[in-house]
Amino acid sequence: MGDRRRIKVLISVIGLDGHFTGAEIVSRYLMDAGMEVVYLGIYQTPEMIVSAAIQESVDVIGISSHASNYDQIGMLLDLMKQNGLNDIPVICGGTIPRQHAETLLKRGVSKIFPPQSSSESIVNYITSIVKR
Amino acid sequence: MKRQTDYGYEIKPVYTPKDVSDISYEKDIGDPGSYPFVRGYYPNGYRDRIWTRRMTAGLGSSRRTNKVLKKYREMGQTQGMLVIHDRPSAMPIDADHPMGRREAGVLGWHGVSLLEFEELMDGIPLIGQSITLLGSSAMSCMRLAYIVALAEKRGIDLKEVHGSVTEYPFCHTFGQTDHMPLDLNIRLWLDSSEFIIRNKIRMRCGILSQHFQESGGNNAQALAVEIGQLKELLGLLVNERGLDFDDVGLLPYELVSIGSRFFEEIAKVRALRRMYARMARETFNAKTEKACQLLISVHTSGRTMTYQQPYNNIARCAIQTLAGAIAGCTAIDNACLDNAHAEPSAFAARMSLNTQHIISDETGVTDVTDPLAGSYFVERLTNEVEDAAYKILQQIEKEGGMIAAVKKGYIHNMMYESARKRQKEIETGERLIVGVNELIIPPEDDDDIPIQSLEASDSEEIAKRIEKWKETRDMSILKDKIAQLYKDAKKDRNHNLMPAIIEAVKAYATAGEIMGVIRMAHGFHYDPLEMIDCPFKLS
Amino acid sequence: MVNNTVKKIVNGDVMTAAKLIRDIDDQVPETREILKALHGYTGKAYIIGVTGAPGVGKSTIVDQMVRDLRLNGKTVGILAVDPTSPFSGGAILGDRIRMQRHSLDKEVFIRSLATRGQFGGLTQSTLSAIDVLDAMGKEYIIVETVGVGQGEVDIARCVHTTVIVVVPGLGDHVQAIKAGIFEVGDIFVVNKADRPEAERAVTYLRSMIGLAKKEFKNEGWEPSIIMAEALNNKGIIELLNEIEKHRRSKKVGDILVAGKRDSARIQLTEMIKSRLIEETLNRITGSPEFEKYLDCIMERTKDPYTACDELLSAMVFGLSLDPCSAPNRTSNHPDEKD
Repeated sequence: MGDRRRIKVLISVIGLDGHFTGAEIVSRYLMDAGMEVVYLGIYQTPEMIVSAAIQESVDVIGISSHASNYDQIGMLLDLMKQNGLNDIPVICGGTIPRQHAETLLKRGVSKIFPPQSSSESIVNYITSIVKR
Repeated sequence: MKRQTDYGYEIKPVYTPKDVSDISYEKDIGDPGSYPFVRGYYPNGYRDRIWTRRMTAGLGSSRRTNKVLKKYREMGQTQGMLVIHDRPSAMPIDADHPMGRREAGVLGWHGVSLLEFEELMDGIPLIGQSITLLGSSAMSCMRLAYIVALAEKRGIDLKEVHGSVTEYPFCHTFGQTDHMPLDLNIRLWLDSSEFIIRNKIRMRCGILSQHFQESGGNNAQALAVEIGQLKELLGLLVNERGLDFDDVGLLPYELVSIGSRFFEEIAKVRALRRMYARMARETFNAKTEKACQLLISVHTSGRTMTYQQPYNNIARCAIQTLAGAIAGCTAIDNACLDNAHAEPSAFAARMSLNTQHIISDETGVTDVTDPLAGSYFVERLTNEVEDAAYKILQQIEKEGGMIAAVKKGYIHNMMYESARKRQKEIETGERLIVGVNELIIPPEDDDDIPIQSLEASDSEEIAKRIEKWKETRDMSILKDKIAQLYKDAKKDRNHNLMPAIIEAVKAYATAGEIMGVIRMAHGFHYDPLEMIDCPFKLS
Repeated sequence: MVNNTVKKIVNGDVMTAAKLIRDIDDQVPETREILKALHGYTGKAYIIGVTGAPGVGKSTIVDQMVRDLRLNGKTVGILAVDPTSPFSGGAILGDRIRMQRHSLDKEVFIRSLATRGQFGGLTQSTLSAIDVLDAMGKEYIIVETVGVGQGEVDIARCVHTTVIVVVPGLGDHVQAIKAGIFEVGDIFVVNKADRPEAERAVTYLRSMIGLAKKEFKNEGWEPSIIMAEALNNKGIIELLNEIEKHRRSKKVGDILVAGKRDSARIQLTEMIKSRLIEETLNRITGSPEFEKYLDCIMERTKDPYTACDELLSAMVFGLSLDPCSAPNRTSNHPDEKD
């Protein structure tokens, strides 16, 4: 039968951060690579992101963070576990200092893309982790 | 490698007199201090007035930020201070809001009440230095009210305070945290601006292109957006509030973002002075010279500061600061070496302030005014960026002006496409960035820099403090002031809310409460995030 | 397995329903059995279509409708359809942005779908997704689409009330909507009615409705026009009242009572269409004969038109097939002429 599976990714900015440009540009990369992107925009709480991920049945969650609200990424990971979403990888992009990046990776974030990461690296990574 | 400006002008290998043959010095450039002010507003440049050398401050509690400000003063920052909001107060919501407590003090100062401002300014003079508070349109009225209230408490004549605490209403279109509906922000902007002008307070209002440009816009677009918003906003003050343009023209200041393409950045600032002067005269019939002079401050570009090899940013910061100084400006605050990581550490802040002082005190750049005037290349670039900007401005006006263009998403799309183009140029290597797409080193070899961070417990502490403090307020006065504010906010759009806001601020009402009640009077939910309900009974 | 899934969905399990809609969208064949079993639990929801060109504020209107429906204690499901990029096959589904304030409300289920664009798949998977939300017990289901494709016209024909959104000053927006959709509009909303050209938009709409009046008259419902400013929550209660009025009107009564024959016809046709195309196409293009025909075409011993005729006759209608033994006619390629 014809394979109609598309990779579906949720992209969101977390917390009260208003910086949306990075998230929008990444969303566009993923669309151009043939993925379906559910884009949530700004002012999303971990609770709202988890709820959307469930309702949309996505394969990957991508979080954009512009400094200082990585605590909420940790909260997101905890909430996902509580809701049985352990199999959905979380990737992050943005300005996350190295020290904090290490903590987040230990807590379960699968990959962090620093600013200026190439579109190819993001697309390839997502494609490689989505279980087909 | 592309040899092109970011707005697409192809740069030639050599410029000659032919490239400036269409320019008349008297008509198009003029001496420093004379119309159209391409060369600046002071005949003797920095000999008349050196730019304000300052650093952004704001992180954690008001007391913590107060300490940083005092430290900056020790580092030589005495001409003026610049503090930005944390995310909850920018929204604005209070720290005891379920979302506020997660991010109180993040990226700025939690300036939600007069109490916080009093703590911020403890032991710091309100006069004798410029007071600049930034970071959210929605909070403009609140910040102005803090100034009024604190001046009164300290027994200072309000007319002696100078600086800028109000901001243009489009912040959230350009990536800033601010959750007030645009129309309401415009109305409140008119109120704070009218209050400043009618009371002849020496306060400027930031009408900025910096946020637009930092979110992706190019140089020509930045000029077009800046002139576009000035034209429409100042026009509203003249037409809706009946103010004289010669007074209105003293209100705005621009914070321009300066990147590393040295000559192009200088050309942009020179063009902006001319564009504003011509608009003031031709559109608004400005009679005084002052009203034709747009105050311009410089912010060295945060988006050019790389995450990789952060120490390289010291060089970038120096080049950009030099460009800002040569272009001519009234103040500079520079993005730091750790800009792509966190809020400035003490180390990064000192580096940045010292960079400014090295440039102002060691290079001789302050000895002479507009030193690049007459350069075939720079004069050509000045005209090119201006021409390109006028074309974009025409498009904005075709969309119905800046407010309409924002509402239709036209400005957002422009910014987005420009950001995408830049990203593509970096990916294809058409634009080179050291440490990003050339001379890359493995991440594990990269240098660690000191990081100033804020723990979740710091935010929680701010939240708990506010919770407790709220109960200690005199609620009967507070409720009266809130009721009056609600009544006033229900009146027509031209009824100025500043007096009612000032009264409520003096009664220690918070930003969440004051803006919430104004929101409700306009038919919106009390809480921008719709999680909590209004604690007051209103009728 | 099927029974378990059905039970969970009927009990309102969000995760199970969401996964099923994903599988429906991805056209996983196993979903058919579940949908068959779910069918008995459907038919109770009231379905509203909201259609209009990009940028007219559909999502904001839907968001405000949900708010008011929730204030009245109604449960709501939302399907927000966005176009798939014809170049990459990907899509950015951004309608949720305006509705996220409802994301923590357990009685609201929001789901984004991409048109994906092939073989009428949109219509079928959307209708199936409606069934899932219906079986979950949602009292109202709102389907938001950009009214430009045939699939979307078909969806509009399957819902109980079709709301078409326009904004002033955008005559071309109205024209961008597929003509057929105008005729299925029950309620027209002029959004952003604070704009100066609002009155003109209403006049324009009246004339458009007038043109299509013949069809409307027979239905016993005269399409109405509502002025709204969704961003400021103006006109939404009026819109919901109008929808309620339409619901009680004869036309909708007919549909509900007579068992939604039109809707059933479309759904069944779509299902047959997509299965026919999918299965037949796969069978033909996957066969060795198909490859042989390609060789013949390359060698110019056969033209593609004849190849098509012969493949269809053989593989669909069961005639005998022998691609290369009988060249249909001598080549008339200029180079090969002597």
